[in-house]
Amino acid sequence: MTEARLTIANPVGLHARPAALFVRTAASFQSAVRVRNLTRDPEREADAKSILSLMTLGVEHGHEILIRADGPDEEAAIATLRELVESNFRE
Amino acid sequence: MPVGLVIVAHSQRLAEGVREVALQMTGGSVTIEAAGGVAGGALGTDAEAIARAIAAADSPDGVLVLMDLGSAVLSTEMAVEMLGDRLQGRVVLSDAPLVEGAVVAAVEASIGRSLDEVARTALDARQMTKVKR
Repeated sequence: MTEARLTIANPVGLHARPAALFVRTAASFQSAVRVRNLTRDPEREADAKSILSLMTLGVEHGHEILIRADGPDEEAAIATLRELVESNFRE
Repeated sequence: MPVGLVIVAHSQRLAEGVREVALQMTGGSVTIEAAGGVAGGALGTDAEAIARAIAAADSPDGVLVLMDLGSAVLSTEMAVEMLGDRLQGRVVLSDAPLVEGAVVAAVEASIGRSLDEVARTALDARQMTKVKR
């Protein structure tokens, strides 16, 4: 398993276009990818490949998330998602 | 090929607007067609225009149609009948809320989910909350 803790810096958080981009990116990997919103509820986990699941986490600007990937391409998945978040969703 | 989407609304601008929002979610990978209003720009829904939109959004994996209000469903049912056997069986009419359903369906279609999965998730969009209490 590979994981990363990241802070969401873009103004809308993980909603709308950024959430869609996150889901599309996660879905492009074979590994299972799960996300937690450490700021709001560290116990609750969402499927990063499901837009509805992801949006229930209520990730807002400034929240810290934990992304975990498990599978054959887990390192690439985490590296790519990290780049996406750190680039502010390429906005 | 991803599932195609059709947005049916009583106003052309409403249909186009929902299409615009949903398209933004897909990175351009999903065909989304809008069929809104009737000839001359009045409010209403036009079965022939809807049939054209469904045919344009058609893909081997099927088409999900999202509608705004009740009579849009009647016009869409007529449109599906007009298309005949060619498309029947791979067109699903969704009872999802229009905007939330379109956005969620667009994302699901863009990651290659099946028509059944896209349709189910669009319906689940009913549970989305936007005002936190």
